Amino acid sequence: MTGPSAEEQGPERVRPRDRRRVRWPLLAVVVVLGLLLTLTTQLERAAPTGTGVAPVEGLAPPLLDTPVRCTRTDDARRLAELRAGLRPDGRLTSAIATACPRLLDGVDVVYVGEVVGDVLRRDGGAWVQVNDDPYALTVGPFGPHRQREGFSAGLAVWLPDGLHEGLGPPGRYGRRGDVVRVTGVLRRADPDDAGGLTVRADTLEVLASATTVDEPLHRPLVAAAGTAALVALAAWGWARGRARRRAR
Amino acid sequence: MSTVLRPDVGDLRLIGFYLGKVLGGLGLVMLAPVPVALAGGEWNAAAALVLGASVSLTARWLGDAFLETRRALSWAHGMVIVALAWIVGSAFAAIPMHVTGRFSSPLATYFEAVSALTTTGMSVIHDLDHLEASMTLYRHLLQIAGGLGIIIVILALFSAGGSRVGTLYVSEARDERILPNVLRTSRFIARVTLAFLVASLAALVPALLSAGFSLARAVEHALALFLASFSTGGFSVMQASVGYYHSTAVELIVMLLMFAGMLSFALHHALWSRDLRECVEHVETRTLVVLGSGLLVLLTLGLVREGTYDTLGALVRRGLFTLVSAVSSTGHQVNAGETYLTDWGVLAPAVLVGAMAVGGMASSTAGGIKVLRVALAFKGVVHDIRRFLLPESAVVVTTYHVGRRRILRPETARAATTALLLFILSFLLGTMTALLTEDVDVTEALFEGVSVGSNIGISIGVVTPDLSPALQAVYVLQMILGRLEFVAVLVLVGYLLSFRRGSRALGGRPRADQR
Repeated sequence: MTGPSAEEQGPERVRPRDRRRVRWPLLAVVVVLGLLLTLTTQLERAAPTGTGVAPVEGLAPPLLDTPVRCTRTDDARRLAELRAGLRPDGRLTSAIATACPRLLDGVDVVYVGEVVGDVLRRDGGAWVQVNDDPYALTVGPFGPHRQREGFSAGLAVWLPDGLHEGLGPPGRYGRRGDVVRVTGVLRRADPDDAGGLTVRADTLEVLASATTVDEPLHRPLVAAAGTAALVALAAWGWARGRARRRAR
Repeated sequence: MSTVLRPDVGDLRLIGFYLGKVLGGLGLVMLAPVPVALAGGEWNAAAALVLGASVSLTARWLGDAFLETRRALSWAHGMVIVALAWIVGSAFAAIPMHVTGRFSSPLATYFEAVSALTTTGMSVIHDLDHLEASMTLYRHLLQIAGGLGIIIVILALFSAGGSRVGTLYVSEARDERILPNVLRTSRFIARVTLAFLVASLAALVPALLSAGFSLARAVEHALALFLASFSTGGFSVMQASVGYYHSTAVELIVMLLMFAGMLSFALHHALWSRDLRECVEHVETRTLVVLGSGLLVLLTLGLVREGTYDTLGALVRRGLFTLVSAVSSTGHQVNAGETYLTDWGVLAPAVLVGAMAVGGMASSTAGGIKVLRVALAFKGVVHDIRRFLLPESAVVVTTYHVGRRRILRPETARAATTALLLFILSFLLGTMTALLTEDVDVTEALFEGVSVGSNIGISIGVVTPDLSPALQAVYVLQMILGRLEFVAVLVLVGYLLSFRRGSRALGGRPRADQR
C-alpha cells in the first residue's frame, strides 16, 4: 500500500502530530529556563545577612538637599544665585560636584567619604578615591547586607605628603576603608590631573577606621553549587559513555 | 504559497547541539575565575561561579549525549544558532551574577550579562567598588569572550565541528575570512589576542607600579584593563573607570589597546604579515583617518569654545581619550558621565554621538555602524551623483580596497545603506523609549540611545541601577541587535514565525540536507 504522492499531499499540508513533536522540545527549553530563573532567584533571596558597619555619625548635611544641574551656558548670575542657596556649614557631595562642576570651582569645601580601592602614593602625595555613597557612609559595603543603594559614587582626592601616611587599608570586597573628613579646594578641571574633577586636600581627619566586614557563607548556594557540579559530572560521564558506544 | 520550510525536530536537534557547545564554552569562562575566588576567600562568589559553570556544562554534555547529529548546517541554522548563542548564552552567563544579589532584578542581571557579552560595557551593578575580585575578573572575561565572538572562542578552544561551523563564523557578524580555513582564522585571532595580552601586561604593570599600585594589584588591574580595552568592552574595576588611575602612561597604553581592538582582524593579519601597503590602501584605514581627524578637530573646537579645559595637556588627555574610546566603541571614561552634559557644552557631546554611531572597523571587536559601511554608503552616494552628472553613455565605475581592489556593486552599497538605516532606527527606538520612561531630556536620551545601540558604553548618566524595566528591555534588544548587526536576529524571528507559517517538506519526505 502506498500513501499519497508528494504532489497530492501538497507542501502546505501539516500533520498535527508533527507540530506537537516540535512544540514539546521548545516547551521543555522554556520550562528549563523558567526553573533556572526560579532557582537562582530563590537562592539570591535566601542569602544570609551578617553584621554590617555602623553608619558614620555626626555628618554635616549636604550643601544642597537636591543637586542642581547646571550647564556651560549658565551665566555668572545663575551661579551666584545657586551659591546663595548653599548651606553655610554643609559638606560637598560627589553628586553636587558632578551636577554642577562650576558651582564650587576653586572654593574651599568639606568632603566626607570612604577611601576605596588603592592609595596611589607618588610625586609628593597620594591619589585616593573617596566615595560618599550610602555604602560608604550608612549601610556599609554590599555583602553582609543586601540593601541595594545604587552605584558607587565619589571624587578623586589628592593628599599631599603628611596627610596620607596614617591611612589604613582602603575599602574593597570584605572591607570598609577609612572614612575620612577632608577639607580642601574643589577643582573643576585640575591642571595637575590633566583636567580632572578633584579635591586638593589641606587637612584630613579619620572619622572611622578601616574595618573588615565578613559576608556570611551562603550555605544553600554552596549546596546548590555542589549538587549542580555532581549533575554536571554525571552528564559528562553519560556523554562520554554514549560517545564510546557510538564509536564502537 | 510560502517557500519557507517549517523547522522540524531534526532542525531543533541541530540547533540544540551547537547551542550546547556554546554554553559549554561559557561554562569554562565561568570556571576560570574560581581559583581567584578560592585564593581570596570569596566563598560565595566561588559557589556562584561553580553553579553557573555546572549548569552550562551540563547543558553542553546533555547536548553531546542526546542531540549529536550529522545533518548539515544551513545558513538559516547558522544565523539562528548565533542569535540564540547571544540570547540564551547571556541568560546562562547571568546565573553567577544573579545569585550574588547585586542587581535590582533578573532583568537587570540579564542586562549586565548582555552588556558584557556584546562588549557594550554599560553597567547596572550595585556597589562595584566593593565587588569580589573573582566577579570582577568574570565580568571582564565575558567581555573578551563576547568581543572575540563566542563562536570564535569555542572554535579556538575545541576545534568544534571543523569546517561545518564556517556558517556560524560568518553569521556572527564577521564576513571576512582572513585565512582560507575558518579554524585557522579563529586560531590566528586567538594568537593576536595572546600577543596583545603579553605586550599589554608588559607595558601596563610597570605603568601601574609607577602610578602607585602594589604588584598584585597592578597585575589584577593590568589584566582587567587589557580584557576590557582590547575587547572594546569598557567594563572597569572601579566605578571611576580609567579616570581612577590619574596616569598619562596608563591612559596612553589603554588608548593603544582600544585602537588595536577597533582594527579589523584582516588588518591585524596584514600588519602581522608586514603588508603595510594593504594597511594604507584599505578603505577603512583611509576613512578612519579622514573621519577621525575631522571628529577630533570638531571636538577640540567644541571644548575650546566652551573653555572646558585650560591647558593643552588636559584637552588632549580628556578629549582625545574620550574620542578614541567612543570611536573604538570601548566606553572607557576619564570623566564622570554627567559632566558631558554639565561641563562639555553642546558641540563636543554631539561629536561624541557621531563618533559612537560610526564605531570601529568591520570584523573587529568593535561595535557601531562600522567604518566600512559608512565608507561604502558614502561612495554609493558619490557614485550616484557622478552617474547623474556624466553623459548617459558614460560607464561609471566606483572601486574600493578591501584585501584587493573591488568594484562597488549596487547591492553592496544598498546593503551598507540598509544596515546604516537599521542602526538609526535602533538609536531612535532607544531614544524614544528613554524619553517615554525616564525623566531625561533629548540630549541625554539620544546620547545613551546611540551609546547602547552601537555597543559603546559611555554613559551620560541615564543608565543607573534604577533604570526602568521597559528601558532595560529595549536597551537589551538594542545591544543584541547592534552586536549581531540585525541579520541573525531578524532571521531568528523569521525562523520562529516559520514554526507557525512555514510549509513542510514535500510529502513529509526527508529534505536533501536530512538524508
